[in-house]
Amino acid sequence: MKQWLHPGFWVALLIVLALGLAPIFSQNAGLRETGFTILLAISMAISLNIIMGYTGYVSFGHVVFYGLGGYTGMYLMDTWGAPLPLAVLGGGAAAALLAFLLGKAILRLRGAYFALATIGVNEAVRTFVSNFKPFGGPTGIELQFSVYKQYGGAADALWLTYYGVVGIAVFALVFSYYIKTSKFGLGLMSIREDEDAAEVMGVVTPDTKTLAFVASAFLPGMLGVLFFFKNGNVEPSDAFRLGFSIESLVMIMLGGQGTLLGPVIGALGYQRLRGLLLTSDVMIGSLPLKDFQLVIAGLLMLIIILFIPAGLVGWLRQRFAWLRRILV
Amino acid sequence: MKRSLLNVLALLVVLSLALAACGSPAPTEAPAAEAPAAAEPEAPAAEEAPAAAEKTAVVGFTASLTGKLNVESTRQNNGFNLWMEQVNAAGGIKLADGTMVKFASKFYDDESNKDRVQELYTKLVTEDNADFLISPYSSGLADASAVIAEQYGKIMVTTGAASDSTYQKGYTLVYQAYTPASAYLTGSADLLASLDANAKKIAIIHENDKFSTDVASALEAYALEKGYEIVLNEGYDSGTTDFAPIINKIPADVDAVMGGGHFADGQQFAKSLFDKGVKTKFISLLVAPPEPTFAEIGDAALGIVGPSQWEPLAAFTPDYGPTGAEFIEAYKAAYGEEPSYHAAGGYAAGLILQKGIETAGSLDAEAVKAALDGVDMMTFFGKIKFDTSAENHGLQIGHSMVYIQWQKDAGGALIKQVVWPAEGKTAESVYPIR
Repeated sequence: MKQWLHPGFWVALLIVLALGLAPIFSQNAGLRETGFTILLAISMAISLNIIMGYTGYVSFGHVVFYGLGGYTGMYLMDTWGAPLPLAVLGGGAAAALLAFLLGKAILRLRGAYFALATIGVNEAVRTFVSNFKPFGGPTGIELQFSVYKQYGGAADALWLTYYGVVGIAVFALVFSYYIKTSKFGLGLMSIREDEDAAEVMGVVTPDTKTLAFVASAFLPGMLGVLFFFKNGNVEPSDAFRLGFSIESLVMIMLGGQGTLLGPVIGALGYQRLRGLLLTSDVMIGSLPLKDFQLVIAGLLMLIIILFIPAGLVGWLRQRFAWLRRILV
Repeated sequence: MKRSLLNVLALLVVLSLALAACGSPAPTEAPAAEAPAAAEPEAPAAEEAPAAAEKTAVVGFTASLTGKLNVESTRQNNGFNLWMEQVNAAGGIKLADGTMVKFASKFYDDESNKDRVQELYTKLVTEDNADFLISPYSSGLADASAVIAEQYGKIMVTTGAASDSTYQKGYTLVYQAYTPASAYLTGSADLLASLDANAKKIAIIHENDKFSTDVASALEAYALEKGYEIVLNEGYDSGTTDFAPIINKIPADVDAVMGGGHFADGQQFAKSLFDKGVKTKFISLLVAPPEPTFAEIGDAALGIVGPSQWEPLAAFTPDYGPTGAEFIEAYKAAYGEEPSYHAAGGYAAGLILQKGIETAGSLDAEAVKAALDGVDMMTFFGKIKFDTSAENHGLQIGHSMVYIQWQKDAGGALIKQVVWPAEGKTAESVYPIR
């Protein structure tokens, strides 16, 4: 119980709440769309942090849960006329199931072998979906524009997905903190530090790792449904885009892996920066800055990885002892 | 020494992140307050117009400046910009109340993926106050942006969003400039029928992605209806380089091979067909053949037919806008290269908007929609007419593909000739090719 009073938890929660509620109070659609992108990234990074930061298993294929969840949800809505909340839960459940089955098999691999296997899984699922007729094969699944009518039109449907993503982001944060401070989380961190020692100490590592994998897969599964519902269609190339996985990894590295606040700050900083660079009107000489956005994002990344590998939150905690009480 | 440098650098990073994170809500919020206000003056501005007599309409879009669709997207932008420069240089478009409208464009990079498409289109509409929208390149991205266009009641012209399904989703403000995917290869079946009444066996081999699959299934349905026999219909993964296993499945007595996907795979497929000595009388492939660099595969390119949205050779007589020759000349002068069909498509998107606004005599979306529903015009790009039924609203039904074939000129060099439709052809088809 005591852990819920820790200021570190409240700092992170307030940041997420402030981000999530600003567009709702201002009822500004532009802010809402930016908020959606950021909160989606935050939730994605928090979920990846459970398996990568807490457990120490680097997954390059995290997007597979996002894609499969999205596909399942779209299938439920398109074929069975399921309402959005049910589809979201269905997407999450499908992703969790996949993680459970995979976990049993590939979590026996360690280090680089596990990382490579996750890429393989993503490619395999993408190819499977590309040839799976109920999911539309290569053409994917499309929702009629009239689908949004049952939620009060496209504008209201977009707001609904936004409330959904705010809810998921808050839940993800609470869930992540709960894991971090629980006995289960302690087991995960002992696996991260030394898996063999953890086993000797009584942690049932295969089960613990699988459970962590399931916990980290459920969230992206739900996010995928919201994103593709909002866009009105899903195709294999969008759903299983490896680049998105890698971006999530970068966000965690930026903010600080294994911390609660790290993925939040990392995702916020990364997405804000990309968004600003993409839409900036600033000119360098006669060339617009937005043509260089990838160069700048890349340089910044390089500097961070080279000089503060622990990420922002990790670095602050090392540097300033008093901050350790506020940042977790 | 080293430590202080590290600290400074880290501080810089922290600062820039903090700036990125906190600094930005302010600029996004400021226009937000204006946005509702800015939307309203739209109409009053038109009434005040006699005093000002000139206004600027903003056309917003995202373009794939980075990522896999960069080349096509850049050419399309060039074409559109050329249209805008010409209209503005001519003083703009005159509205019913005498106001002259000039155009400005506002665009962002969508990085060829869907992640930010809706975010950027919302920004274009609510913060940049775009009056009209043009779709991103490719069907998937266009679908995502159409949700926003419909929501804010903005007309959107799509270029490079060929899949028919986009127009069957119930949108009312989306208009297609290109021939839809379902009609990409059906002309090949017609061409084959005109060449040889005894050719009956077609093998369809296509890339396993949305666009190519849409094209292939429409072709199969059409060919079956025309009495052809489909002896093989097989998809290959995007990025395939070894076509031997698929080619081995083609029956020996096949008359025609059709399909393909995008440039690299289409070119490789054509080369493999040649290398493996497949005896077929007719080959028609998507996307790759119209590109000038297709000829790099030498004799393997000879006789290959390909559909193109537009070809500089095809001479239509326009009743609206410039002639093909005028467009080519202006484009060459502006960008120093031959226009591709993407460039022509970008220009055509501008022409469609221009026609809609001129006919409506206003910038009001409802009026322009009514005008576009009635459009039936011949441009240098081809005929433009939209489906107005509820099921397929906005689908392009006027425009048709032209089919080119690689042939040899008198000197033995490979050149493109238009061979179909019959009214536009510049040479007779070579048949059978092998």
